[in-house]
Amino acid sequence: MSMFKKILIANRGEIAIRIMRACKELDIKTVAVYSDADKNSLHVQQADEAMHIGAASPKESYLNVDKLIQAAHASKADAIHPGYGFLSENASFTAAVASAQLAFIGPSADSIRAMGDKAESKIAMKKAGVPTVPGYEGLESETDFKKAADEIEYPVLVKASAGGGGKGMRVVNNESELSEAIESARREALNSFGDERLLIEKYLADAHHIEFQVFGDQHRHIVHLFERECSVQRRHQKIIEETPSPLLTPALRKEMGEAAVKAAKAVNYYNAGTIEFIVDPDTMQYYFLEMNTRLQVEHPVTELTTGLDLVQWQIRVAAGEHFPYTQEQLTQRGHAIECRVYAEDPANGFLPSTGKLLQYIEPKGPGIRVDSGFTAGSDVTHFYDPLLAKLIVNAENRDAAIQKMQAALKDFIVHGVVTNIDFMQSVLTHEDFTNGRVTTRWVEKTLDSGSLLPPTQKRASALHIITAALADLTIVNPKSSIENRNEPDPYSPWKQINGFRN
Amino acid sequence: MKTTFDQTIIDLIPQGKSYRATVGDQTVDVEIIRAKDGQLDLLIDGERVTAYVSSDGAKRWVTVNGQTLMLTKASGAKRRGSGHDQGSALVAPMPGLVRSVNVVEEETIMKGQTLMVLEAMKMEIRIQAPRDGLVKKLLVKQGQTVEREQVLIEIE
Repeated sequence: MSMFKKILIANRGEIAIRIMRACKELDIKTVAVYSDADKNSLHVQQADEAMHIGAASPKESYLNVDKLIQAAHASKADAIHPGYGFLSENASFTAAVASAQLAFIGPSADSIRAMGDKAESKIAMKKAGVPTVPGYEGLESETDFKKAADEIEYPVLVKASAGGGGKGMRVVNNESELSEAIESARREALNSFGDERLLIEKYLADAHHIEFQVFGDQHRHIVHLFERECSVQRRHQKIIEETPSPLLTPALRKEMGEAAVKAAKAVNYYNAGTIEFIVDPDTMQYYFLEMNTRLQVEHPVTELTTGLDLVQWQIRVAAGEHFPYTQEQLTQRGHAIECRVYAEDPANGFLPSTGKLLQYIEPKGPGIRVDSGFTAGSDVTHFYDPLLAKLIVNAENRDAAIQKMQAALKDFIVHGVVTNIDFMQSVLTHEDFTNGRVTTRWVEKTLDSGSLLPPTQKRASALHIITAALADLTIVNPKSSIENRNEPDPYSPWKQINGFRN
Repeated sequence: MKTTFDQTIIDLIPQGKSYRATVGDQTVDVEIIRAKDGQLDLLIDGERVTAYVSSDGAKRWVTVNGQTLMLTKASGAKRRGSGHDQGSALVAPMPGLVRSVNVVEEETIMKGQTLMVLEAMKMEIRIQAPRDGLVKKLLVKQGQTVEREQVLIEIE
């Protein structure tokens, strides 16, 4: 099979741009797709061509299989890269792509199907000898859920069998919360995945989330590319990821890596995938959580420590190439951290913040990488995930990487929407983080206890007030006020500022 | 010249090339070295500070020392009148879509009861009653798109 000539990217935002970058380096043309809301988005501007596929609502555009395949045919693309989210783990999309005589850059529909169902995959993993979290699959009545919860003991987790990304998932601390949790998880599951089945399992509150990147070609060669520690989470969604994990010993890393490869082999996996485990730091027991049958948001930390370009390799193995490295040839070098810059307000329950980006300045420097989908003037809408950018750093060891990240976050300027940048700064300086003791419920608990800088109590410093007042002085300058009368924003006459210094 | 941001009054007095700035009981000398495209390079009591400022109506986004804040400039002497008594109006905490309205007008409600469910960025947000009361007025319908801070329900 020869290399693709043109790839359609069935996604938007930073990941679409990341994939286009890899295509460009491999000398492959790119096709962007976009909804009404993304007409002026960066990913549309950076593609070789762009196809409009529908209304802003994802169902009308980025989740519309027929329109995506039509766009691929119309643009004469020979492959589709799904990115993450949207249709990336939808087996019927993968199958539809194949029957439309297009290549799918990812695993087979069968692998996606086998791992996509949280209940089925758990059963398959038990059979393959991979440790799983105690719990039950296939329950229906509330009575059965109640019985199961009593047996495995609260807190428990009810989650969508078809789920992922924290959607359709509820923590239940005691029996009184069970009924509403089941109902709302079902509703969210039906809404997000069109499938309301739930499973129940023990909720390990103080566990680390550690996942292993696996990578295979279509010739039965598969390896793992080490772990990513993703325990800094809010609402079951990751905010900060790093590799290597400060928790793992070399022996446990080896054992979990082998388990990850075993899990992937059990579903005849190829292309990039991730086996998620939770690890109890008290017992150092690990349990299979789920497999993500796609490229992860946090793939850059693995790229920076292994030296591999995962997206390029995804494309190359999808075109039939052999993945040339054996497990023994692969090593981790240095330390990498990723911070997800979200348009969300930590002081307002991490709820999304929307608006126009008035200023957007990314940090630069040795060892700093920014994967982003926005620029100054971009609109952040409520239609899509509030991820603005991923800030990734790598350095010779963990301490140096933390220091580099702190400096880089300070240089990341975003005005117009509230972001979690300041919040991540306080996480990075917290001793629990520097000591590698963060577990998945740490953000929630630490915010409640008040030992993490409480964002609600953040007061304007005198410096902030002085700066705002000085900036405002420019508009009362009589010389500039006339010229500026017709400006769309009368408060930004920066070009006039020299006038008021005399 | 006096300005108010977020209830804090600042007084700026021109002094030759620089300004004397007073905020609360703090007084400093500030000189603007450079100001371009929303970036201000300042000398504050001789110390170099780089700040970033953007404005949107009365809002000022300010970043100093890696800390970003959104300040609101007070408009004149009189505060903006509020159309709704904050105690009785429930507002949208985020922009999004009204997924369901679970109550009707005149319905008696209990503290913690879910009155409405909003959805945005594929997340579900429950609007709950802050206290026992009565639904006085429903201002939005199922399927409607709402803005942040938009009043959804009035209760009494």
